Amino acid sequence: MAKFITIGERIHCISPVIREAMNTQNPEPILKRAKEQIDAGATYLDVNIGPAESNGVELMQWAVKLLQENFDNVPLALDTANRKAIEAGIQVYNRAKGKPIVNSADAGDRIENIDLAAANDAIVIALCSKAGVPADNDERMAYCQELLERGMEHGMEPTDMLFDPLFLVIKGMQDKQMDVLEAIKMLTDMGLRTTGGLSNVSNGMPKHIRPIMDSAMVAMAMMNGLSSAIVNPCDLRLMETIKSFDIIKDNDLYADSYLEI
Amino acid sequence: MPFTNKPQVFNAKINTVELGVGDKKIAIGGENVLPFYTFDAPIENLPKIGVEISDAGVENEVEGIKAFYEGCNTVAERAKKAATMPGADFLAIRFESADPNGENTSVEDCVKVAKEVAEATDMPLVFMGCKNVEKDAQIFTAVADALQGKNILVLSAREEDYKTVAASAGLAYGQKVGAESAVDINLAKQLNVLITQLGVASANVVMNLGSAAAGYGYEYVASTMDRVKAAALSQNDAMLQMPVVTPVSTETWSVKESMASEEDMPEWGSRETRGVDMEVVTAAACLASGSNAVILRHPQSVETISKLIKELA
Repeated sequence: MAKFITIGERIHCISPVIREAMNTQNPEPILKRAKEQIDAGATYLDVNIGPAESNGVELMQWAVKLLQENFDNVPLALDTANRKAIEAGIQVYNRAKGKPIVNSADAGDRIENIDLAAANDAIVIALCSKAGVPADNDERMAYCQELLERGMEHGMEPTDMLFDPLFLVIKGMQDKQMDVLEAIKMLTDMGLRTTGGLSNVSNGMPKHIRPIMDSAMVAMAMMNGLSSAIVNPCDLRLMETIKSFDIIKDNDLYADSYLEI
Repeated sequence: MPFTNKPQVFNAKINTVELGVGDKKIAIGGENVLPFYTFDAPIENLPKIGVEISDAGVENEVEGIKAFYEGCNTVAERAKKAATMPGADFLAIRFESADPNGENTSVEDCVKVAKEVAEATDMPLVFMGCKNVEKDAQIFTAVADALQGKNILVLSAREEDYKTVAASAGLAYGQKVGAESAVDINLAKQLNVLITQLGVASANVVMNLGSAAAGYGYEYVASTMDRVKAAALSQNDAMLQMPVVTPVSTETWSVKESMASEEDMPEWGSRETRGVDMEVVTAAACLASGSNAVILRHPQSVETISKLIKELA
């Protein structure tokens, strides 16, 4: 099995510092956050520029070039509702360290992002939802089928699709957690790869609880086959859990210094 | 149904490490396929063969080795002669006599020998110690210093002395470092982590994963090498992508099949034939398991393995 893929979530325009840096095209705060995440062991970096309706094309190209030029072509997930911005980002993207990830498509009005990924030989995150949260796993798997068929119609390899079952917040949806884990198992049994926004589960919890809850959830999800996740790589406990799990799963060969690499 | 070839080419590859300088310089590693899987993709650098030359002389060797080095009185003369051996790519000088429990040849004398060898031949040079950790660390440091610019390989840095050996040979004097573990896959990776954490570039590191003569636990060697190559290629493990150099002769010429005289074991036949057989089968198995270079002693073994490599490539 391949090692677990972490997609660092900390370059996100919801953060005031990053939003300001993107508005003024100021490299420093973005490079700082990128470095922190790479040093902490992130494989991919997510680049969320928000809706970016007016300047998305220019902004995404700037961000892609900035990050790849400074960090040895670090692979990126291009995260925006602006489709043209994603396409523009892929145009300047260097694939030496991995294909770009389109973040994201769903079975609703964002399904065309699958076509975009297929046309550009990219990976796509495919949310198993249409509008809002799926009610149960029957609904999840039906969306999964729709997304998978769409991808294959456009010539995608199924392994280039990362299916997101939608991690749900525990505070409020505690009774749905085992459904999500079961969905991961079903997707994995179909030979599909999976991902998701892991920190959703601990949303709203006290700061010191979140790493504990996220770590427990990632371990259970990895046990069911989760192949990647969008995470905060600066969460040391979480990264230690992922690295340890990769050892237990024999995805990575053990060495005494495994936490340092 | 027509046969469709699906090449198993990996996105990861073994590091390329260069040894020596000038026309005789060699490169080992660089492949992105399993050992000898040339039907999947061409192998960038064919496995290489080193000739082991001990500073203890050839008195105890079999006739074929004695005959080959006839008339050579010093290590440097034997090195010069070994450079002419068909199939030889590099020379491995072993300071066997430096063992404090044996002749205890001084570090200064070892350096003198190393310099003479470097003057006598332009072949890439590997230096092996006497297996005494403290003495080896001193020898490797001194030889790496004395032969700066020759791009030598010291075999090896071990768990006990990697700080000294890797810091001196690898960092201070710009030579290549062998990371030695004794058929222990986790330690193999750990040593590479530790050596690179010291600041030695991974392109300057090779692995000696250890070996065993066929029949003496070789299956552990095979499974270790298989797992190392699988991690390096299919899991893209950068801490295991160093090429593998395996000293074969030091293992195979010290087992009873190669040592017992014909007087003691008449039913076993010629000692020389047995010794060469042990050396050849072990080396062939190591290459099939993933060694990027093997170190051998007998001219006939070198020639045989060289032929095997060329025909399989």
